[in-house]
Amino acid sequence: MSVVSTILSPSLIATTLIFVIVWGMLAIGLNMHWGEAGLLNFAHAAFFAVGAYTSAILTTPPPESGGILEATRTIGFNFPIVVGMIGAVVVTAAIGVAIGATSIRLADDYLAIVTLAGAELIRLVIVNQGSLTAGTKPIKNIPRPLEGTFREVLGLGLPYSVYYVGISGLVLIGTLIMFRRLSDSPFGRVLNAIREDEDVPKALGRDTGRYKLKAFGLGAGVAGLAGALFAHSQNAIIASQFTASLTFIIWAAVIIGGSGSYVGALAGAAVILGIQAVLRVVPSTVPIIGGDLEVLRPIIVGILLIVVMYVRPQGMFGNKEQTLAGVKE
Amino acid sequence: MNDTQQLTENTTTETDQAILETRDVTKKFGGLTAVDRVSIEVNAGEITGLIGPNGAGKSTLFNLMSGFYEADDGTVLFRGDDVTALRPDERAQEGLIRTFQITRELSGMTVMQNMLLGAQDNPGEAVMTALFKNSEVNQFEQHQRERAEELLNYLELGDLHDEYAGNLSGGQRKLLELGRALMSDPDLLLLDEPMAGVNPDLTDHLLDRITALCEDEGKSFLVVEHDIEAIMNISDTVIGMHQGEILVSGDPEVVQEDEALLEAYLGGGDV
Amino acid sequence: MATEVATLLSFFWNGLVEGSLIALAGLGLTLLFGLLNFINIAYGEYMAWAAYITLLATVGGLPFVGAILVGAVGGGLIAIAADRAIFQHFSNRSPVVLLVVSIGTSFILRNLIRVLVPSEFRTALYGVELLHVPNIAGVTILGNQVVVLILSVLILGGVFLLLNRTRIGIAMRAASNDTDLARLRGIDTNRLVIYVTVLGGFIAGIAGVMLGLESQVNPTMGFTFLIPVFAAVILGGIGDPLGAVIAGYALGIAQKLSLVIIPSEYTPAVALLLLIAGLLTRPDGIFGETTR
Repeated sequence: MSVVSTILSPSLIATTLIFVIVWGMLAIGLNMHWGEAGLLNFAHAAFFAVGAYTSAILTTPPPESGGILEATRTIGFNFPIVVGMIGAVVVTAAIGVAIGATSIRLADDYLAIVTLAGAELIRLVIVNQGSLTAGTKPIKNIPRPLEGTFREVLGLGLPYSVYYVGISGLVLIGTLIMFRRLSDSPFGRVLNAIREDEDVPKALGRDTGRYKLKAFGLGAGVAGLAGALFAHSQNAIIASQFTASLTFIIWAAVIIGGSGSYVGALAGAAVILGIQAVLRVVPSTVPIIGGDLEVLRPIIVGILLIVVMYVRPQGMFGNKEQTLAGVKE
Repeated sequence: MNDTQQLTENTTTETDQAILETRDVTKKFGGLTAVDRVSIEVNAGEITGLIGPNGAGKSTLFNLMSGFYEADDGTVLFRGDDVTALRPDERAQEGLIRTFQITRELSGMTVMQNMLLGAQDNPGEAVMTALFKNSEVNQFEQHQRERAEELLNYLELGDLHDEYAGNLSGGQRKLLELGRALMSDPDLLLLDEPMAGVNPDLTDHLLDRITALCEDEGKSFLVVEHDIEAIMNISDTVIGMHQGEILVSGDPEVVQEDEALLEAYLGGGDV
Repeated sequence: MATEVATLLSFFWNGLVEGSLIALAGLGLTLLFGLLNFINIAYGEYMAWAAYITLLATVGGLPFVGAILVGAVGGGLIAIAADRAIFQHFSNRSPVVLLVVSIGTSFILRNLIRVLVPSEFRTALYGVELLHVPNIAGVTILGNQVVVLILSVLILGGVFLLLNRTRIGIAMRAASNDTDLARLRGIDTNRLVIYVTVLGGFIAGIAGVMLGLESQVNPTMGFTFLIPVFAAVILGGIGDPLGAVIAGYALGIAQKLSLVIIPSEYTPAVALLLLIAGLLTRPDGIFGETTR
């Protein structure tokens, strides 16, 4: 009975849901880049990290100089969490636009490499600017929104994480509504046209470079918001959480879910997280699939990426008829 | 370069008949000169035909005029203004619209979406407006949808407006390309082989429409076509090109008899 | 003053050694990239696998020279295995798809190392005692570095002889530079793909083993080394062997000389920035007319 109650505990379910929401937001952002505009952005994990760190730095004052184990961070603020989240979105969107500027000159696989390089630069800065980011050490004591209020006002005796699901869930829904509206709008149509054949909207009077920048900014901003949501759900963040392979996990999620569709992207994120959750439960004595998740996850993602690329008919677009109509690659 | 600009300003009054003008425009690819100091004028409110055997440089010239290629030398003037430095989308916003020889339908989008993309200055393309000013956007879209329906019907694509463009036949794609270009309400339309693959009845229909647009709405056309007869019939002026150079330019009857042009067709290139 | 000169000289020396590695790895990659026309992220893993094979061979008692050979051959084998098992099934797809597939492949190969190699060997040195070299002009010269430099130059020379003096090599170079033209000339490009893949993997293997000699063997060694290697390939012109080598040495020296102005934690930024600059300015390379 205790095993079941552990698995079904509100706390665990809530934590899992928060992850689903955060990853879902990441997938939404990437879908704007790839699904809508055909932009190969491989810097998404970096945007996530920038958002998390920005919000954490803005809302967490630097620790009192304590023992050697304390972080080396000297920069920190004590702004309200809302400021942190808005700051996260703005800063990440700005960085997204900066990296996105390369897409004006480059396309496809070259763009992928440039964005990867940009992400690596960001990672270098995060890991080495200890005064700002605590370097490889964690930023601790990140505040939680409305922590006190929930305890007192609602006081149902539920753990905080359950309330956080509500907060972040609302953010997710709002984001989803906003992006779907953009997708169905003339703005979305121009992005789709850029994806299909950039020369056409150009020949019809659209400054495609500006649209790409906007797409980059929007998608990165969402990733930044996801980062902020993530940071405030945890008590601490640390650089090693934001691995390069995270970018490809989200990619796999978007592709599996059927890119071009925001709901599909969410579904893909849920699927990937589901696989991870299952793996965690498998005891390490089971050969091959039991064992170190850190090693297994990239292998599974790798296999998934290859299989999905192979099986998905003629390209990576969600709508099969649409894909076949394009006979596009 | 400055001298040429001076020249432009001084001679504007002389050339205000021409909606598009190129002066000594040149384009080289490696060792090959695809367009060699071409100077032509496209008169406003007229249909101008551009003919020449394959490889004459017609598509390259189109790309130079529309800004998809950067000229190695020379200038392009649109309505008297030097547009040589302008990007393709900037020229399109001025009213210079081109179609492509090999159709560029947006295959993963529907016919209607293709058409709607043609309409310029859509307020819904701004992010904030798209998010918050629904009625303004809807009004614009509705109006454009009606225009598109009318055009599609005229092009006999009316039933296909929800079909993915990638599923259309070759001729239908050509028509969609034309319709999409017309949606942008161009002042000058550069048509690159608009009739290729389109069935003959429809071709006449289309040529009538082009002539009507020219006469009734004052639109200008520069048309590349291999159907010499059709070109001679509808064009006010015909320009003949061969191996990157202009051989002859003038009334259809005159051009038809031009020795050098006949040589070019018979000699090297095929029609 | 003497110490400053010595410092600069040692930067230069270290840069030469590092440059040899980048040049060598870049040579293999540019041949592959030029012929197969896609960015192969798994290339780093060919390097890493070769290093581990060499490591385990030395542990198993093989003399170092033999172990290097085994490792390099291993690199070639891994490359052809990856091609036959995975990449070949995507040969008619776009470069983007192949890039994503190569990323998946690199995830698998890199983490298989973690699964297969016993933990005590996961981060290691070869444990070979090589030449002992005295300091010259105040510059510390390690025996390992000398071996790396000499072996790299030998292999580079050998490969260039192959590419310029043998029929198969000339065919490889032609196909790498312009695949369509090569096909027109009747060169069997399918067989060439196999040859170039094996050769590229072999070169990657040597580079990987040398990388392990110059620093250490660890699971991410290939992946992290990819950035300067790619920079060298892009800057040197895709499919241009000489360009990759020159760019590789230039990059290695630039990276080490950068220590004059930037702290060592940010050395990777040099290659990153040069890669970005290279891609933005000339995807076809500073030297090259090579097109995709």
